[in-house]
Amino acid sequence: MKHSINHYKQSLLACVIALSFPLNAIADEGYDALKAQVDALQKQLQEVKETLKQYKTKSATKQEVEKLKQDVATASTEAAEWKSTDSIVHLAGYGDATYSDAEDTNAAFSGARFNPIFHYQYKDILLLESELEFEIGEDGGTEVALEYLAIDYLLNDYLTVIGGKFLSPLGQFRQNFHPSWINKLPTAPPGFGHDQAAPNAEIGLQARGGFPIGSNSMYANYAVYVGNGPILEIVGDEIEEINTGGRTSNDDDKFVFGGRIGFLPIPMLEIGFSGATGKVAGESEPDITRDYDVYGVDFAFNRNNLRLRGEYIMQDVGANTSSAAPESASWDAWFTQVSYRFLPTAFEGVVRYSDYDSPHNSEDQKQWALGVNYLFSSNAMAKFAYNFNDGENGSVTDNSGFQLQLSYGF
Amino acid sequence: MKQTKKMMVNNSFFLALLFVILSVFFNSVGAEESGKTEGDVSRGAVSWSQNCSRCHEMRDPTEFRDDLWKPIVTHMRIRAGLTGQQQRDILAFLQASNNPRPVKVATTARSQPSESAISGKEIYDQTCVACHGTDGKGVLPGAPDFTKAGGRLSKSDEVLIQHISDGFQSSGSPMAMPAKGGNPDLTDADIRAVLKYLHESFGQ
Repeated sequence: MKHSINHYKQSLLACVIALSFPLNAIADEGYDALKAQVDALQKQLQEVKETLKQYKTKSATKQEVEKLKQDVATASTEAAEWKSTDSIVHLAGYGDATYSDAEDTNAAFSGARFNPIFHYQYKDILLLESELEFEIGEDGGTEVALEYLAIDYLLNDYLTVIGGKFLSPLGQFRQNFHPSWINKLPTAPPGFGHDQAAPNAEIGLQARGGFPIGSNSMYANYAVYVGNGPILEIVGDEIEEINTGGRTSNDDDKFVFGGRIGFLPIPMLEIGFSGATGKVAGESEPDITRDYDVYGVDFAFNRNNLRLRGEYIMQDVGANTSSAAPESASWDAWFTQVSYRFLPTAFEGVVRYSDYDSPHNSEDQKQWALGVNYLFSSNAMAKFAYNFNDGENGSVTDNSGFQLQLSYGF
Repeated sequence: MKQTKKMMVNNSFFLALLFVILSVFFNSVGAEESGKTEGDVSRGAVSWSQNCSRCHEMRDPTEFRDDLWKPIVTHMRIRAGLTGQQQRDILAFLQASNNPRPVKVATTARSQPSESAISGKEIYDQTCVACHGTDGKGVLPGAPDFTKAGGRLSKSDEVLIQHISDGFQSSGSPMAMPAKGGNPDLTDADIRAVLKYLHESFGQ
C-alpha cells in the first residue's frame, strides 16, 4: 500500500514537472513580446520628448508672434510711405564719351559729356524739370550750360502750362531725339546742332498736351509757345549766326509765337507740323527789327525692329535796308534716317542722309552717315559710325571721318 | 515812346489772348470728363507699347521702382504730348509689371474659378495685343511671331502657361514679358483661356 502511495506521488510529481515545461515556454514568449513593446514605446517616448524639446526651442511664443505681427505692420507702413508723399525727387539724365578720327584732323578722344536731369514732382499738379550739361571743352576746361529749367503746371488731362527755359517745341529732333542714348548716331544731323537751322531752346511760356481724335485710337498732340525769340549776330555786312539758345532779354521788344501740332493717324506713326513767327534783331542793333519765321515738318514711324525718322526745318529772317547786314537770310536743313535692330543679336544698323543750307557756303553740308550700334541694354549702347561729308572744299564740313561713342541714359 | 507803348500793348494783348483761348478751350474739353479715372493696366500696356518706342528703345518696367516711375511718366507725358489718362494708364501698367517674381510659399490655395469669366480673345485684346499685335506676329522688338511654324506655340502648354504666369524673356530679346503680361488680375482659368485662343488663332 505504502509502495502504491509512493508510486502515485512519484507519478504525480512527474506529471507536474512534465506539464510545467510548456507553461514556462509560453510565459517566456509573452515576456519577450511585452519587453519589445515596452522598448518600442520607450523609444517613441524619447522621440516625442526630443521633438517637444526642439519645438520648445524653435517655436515662437504667443508674445513673440504678436511682436512679429507688429514688426511686419511697421515695416509695411514704412515701405508704403512713398505712396503718401506729396513730393517726389528723381534724378535722370545721360552721358557719353566720343572718339573721332577724320581725314584731315588728328584722331582724338574728342568728347565727354554729362547731362543730369532733375525731376521734382508735387502731387499730380506740378513738375519741375531741369537739365544741366557738363562738357569738356577743347582746352580741357569744363563748360556748363542750363539746357532747360521748366516748371510744368498740369492744368488738366489735356493741357500743361510750362514756364521757364524749355527745349524748342518746333520739330522733333531737338526736343526728343537729340540725347545721346536716344540718337542712333554719335552726331546730330547737320543743321540740327546748336545755333543752326533747328531752334534749340526758348525762354517764355508754353502750353502743350494731347487729345484723342474720335474713338479709333487716333491722337493728336500740340505745343504753342511765346518767348523772347532768337537774336542775330551781325559781323560786317553779314548775318553771322542766329542764336536760338534762349535768352532772358528781349532786345527788339517783340515776342516770338510758335508751335507744333502732331497727328498720329495710326499708333506707330506721328506726323508733325511746326511754325513760328515774330521779329528778330541783331545784338549790335536792337532797334532794327526784321521778320522772323520758322517752318517745319517731321515724322516718326516704328514697327518691330524698324525705325524711320525724318524732319525738315527752316528759319528765315527778312531783309532790312537800315541794317548793317541788309539782306535776308535763311537756314534750312532736313534729314531722314532708318535704323534696324538685328534681333536676337544686340546689333543695330543705321543709315542717315542730311542736307544743311545756311547763309554761308562754308557751313553748307551734305552728309551720309552709316552706323553700327551695339546695345548693351535699352539705354546703353556703343556706336560706331562713318560720316561721308560733302561741303566746301577745304572746310571742316568736307572732312569725312568716323566716330566711336559710348552712351548711357539713366 | 509812343511806339514802345504800342509794342507793350501788342505783346500783352497777344499773350493774354493766347492763354484765354487755351484756357477756355481745354477747360471746356476737360469739363466733359466726369472726373479723372484711375489708371488701367490693360490700356496702359497698349499706350506704353505704342508711344514710348516712338522716340527711344523700350525701357523695361523692372528698371525702376513704383515711386520713381511716377515723375518719369509725368515727364514723358509732357514730352510726348500724352493725355493725362494715358499717363495714368501707363503708370499703372509699369507699376504692376515691375514686381519681382513672387516667392512661392506653402499656403492654403485660394479658390479660383475653373472657367474664365471672359473669352480668350477678350483677354488677348486687353492684355496681350499691345506687344504681340492683333495678328500675333509681334509689335515690339523681341516679341515672338506666334504664327511661325515650330515657333513659340510649339512648346508644351505646361511650359507656355508657366511663361505666361511667371513672365519670360526670350534669348536675345531686349526685355522680358512681365508676369501675366503685367495684369496681376489674370486667373489660372484666364491664362488657360488665352492660351487656347492663341492656339486656335495663330497656331499652325
